Amino acid sequence: MTIRAHGLTKRYGDKTVVDDLTFEVLPGTVTGFLGPNGAGKSTTMRMLLGLDAPTRGRATIGDRAYAAHPAPLHEVGALLEARSVHPGRSAYHHLMALAHTHSIPRSRVEAVLRLAGIDEVARRRVKGFSLGMGQRLGIAAALLGDPATVILDEPVNGLDPEGVLWIRNLLKSLAAEGRTVLISSHLMSEMALTADHLIIIGRGKLLADTTVERFVRDSGSGAVKVATPEAGLLSELLAGPGIQITTDTPGVLDVRGTDAEHIGRTAAAHGIPLRELTPHTASLEQAFMDLTRDSVEYATTTTAPQPEGATA
Amino acid sequence: MSTLTPTSTTAPVAAPTPTPAYRLSPRGILRSEWHKLWTLRSTWITLITASALVMAVGIMMGSTYDGDDAEIDTVVFTLFGTQLSQICLAVLGILVTAGEYSTGMIRASLTAVPRRLPVLWSKAAIFTAVAFTACAVTNVATFLTAQIWLSGTDKALALTDDGVLTALLTSAAALTLLSLIALGLGALLRSVPGAIGAFVGAVLILPEVMSMLPFGAVETAIRYFPAQSASALGSVARVENAIAPGTALLTLTLWAAVIIGAASVLLRRRDV
Repeated sequence: MTIRAHGLTKRYGDKTVVDDLTFEVLPGTVTGFLGPNGAGKSTTMRMLLGLDAPTRGRATIGDRAYAAHPAPLHEVGALLEARSVHPGRSAYHHLMALAHTHSIPRSRVEAVLRLAGIDEVARRRVKGFSLGMGQRLGIAAALLGDPATVILDEPVNGLDPEGVLWIRNLLKSLAAEGRTVLISSHLMSEMALTADHLIIIGRGKLLADTTVERFVRDSGSGAVKVATPEAGLLSELLAGPGIQITTDTPGVLDVRGTDAEHIGRTAAAHGIPLRELTPHTASLEQAFMDLTRDSVEYATTTTAPQPEGATA
Repeated sequence: MSTLTPTSTTAPVAAPTPTPAYRLSPRGILRSEWHKLWTLRSTWITLITASALVMAVGIMMGSTYDGDDAEIDTVVFTLFGTQLSQICLAVLGILVTAGEYSTGMIRASLTAVPRRLPVLWSKAAIFTAVAFTACAVTNVATFLTAQIWLSGTDKALALTDDGVLTALLTSAAALTLLSLIALGLGALLRSVPGAIGAFVGAVLILPEVMSMLPFGAVETAIRYFPAQSASALGSVARVENAIAPGTALLTLTLWAAVIIGAASVLLRRRDV
């Protein structure tokens, strides 16, 4: 089922938290919903679920408002940023209470408790849960109704590295089963590993709606630094369509459009000695920060330039 | 925990049936609220405390009676403890609604039932049934226990005597309806301390203060306030300076309906 936001806007007083957001989230892929803290991610997710009413615009899941579905938990499973559990109830009873609304059997509750790896603590009151256990309970609750769409707000928060790996694999397999997966994060590096598609917002506005692949390419993280005494010769040999070569310092090339392996082989085939061959990978987070920092500047001008890749 | 996760990632959504017949239903929502009520310690604590207070005060009144309170109605006399248990039951009503807001549980509840109103109405229905049953059983048991001591006095009465069972049950109804008003206040104010303050202040204390005003019209109007209507109930003899029991029951029901109605309107409109 496709999630659609049409001109979604949320104002609190004269503060616009979500500003005319339009996007689509398609089934079968993991879509990362990215933005700095306070960008409006959680508010947007609450509007998708009908917990907050939009000031303007509308949100649909499978062409209907969330509340219009006859079995909401079977359509959408959600993990919200804030804890949504009574601490005095055990994990088992929390899930069982939610399960009753949709006549979901006890066996399903037990299955999601096992899946989330909290079946051994399920009879304990949630009060004593660690952040990670609470997060796992939230994910168990999201999967309770075997939903076609999964919306998770900052799912890796509070998880240990093993838990992060677990959720990454879980999300990928959910998408592989044809489900729609929307996850928010403020960490570009995490999204680059998990998501296929990216929706980036800043100050409630859409900044980019693109694939991870394209974002990586556009952000220049495909660049390879090459240091060689034969810079001129190597440039000529590498030159070709789609390949950009720039030089700031003599003897050092910045190559885009190809990978380190190709450059290394080319150099070896022609007997060119290399002093350095370094692919740039760390600039992804930088590109994200540049994009969202710009959004702050855009917000003060009246004509917002359309960022590259945006399809709003 | 860590030993389980690697195996679970291979089968992420272990659906027990290929085509699950999951569906949101009014019956399911009622079951959910029933389940929620009984899986919290606060429910047991408030209900047991409320019953124990009524029973303890009833035993105390019965065992120490020396025949000099002849003018007080026997059922009212036996159930003096309901003055105390009222607070316990009101707190339970408030915890049922406002407790979900203070813990964040309401977001899970309203995500499961996005049409929202069935949640509040199921809460009210389950609470009414549970509170009324608990009060009725406690009242009858307390009456019978107190009669062990009262049987030889001018307060000797049998359960089958005229008006006795009615008085015991209308007392339970009054307690339940007042607590239902507290439940509605909890849903309106979305804060446990706020709703307790509003219940004690506006429902229990304010009319007492207003009754000191030297206006006849105010005095008449106050008789229709919730706590004053409740005081017309739970007595074998007709209570002086109060409205008729039938009118009182209707008035209390209307108060509860108006407050839950207002809470329903706001529940639909407000963000969670």
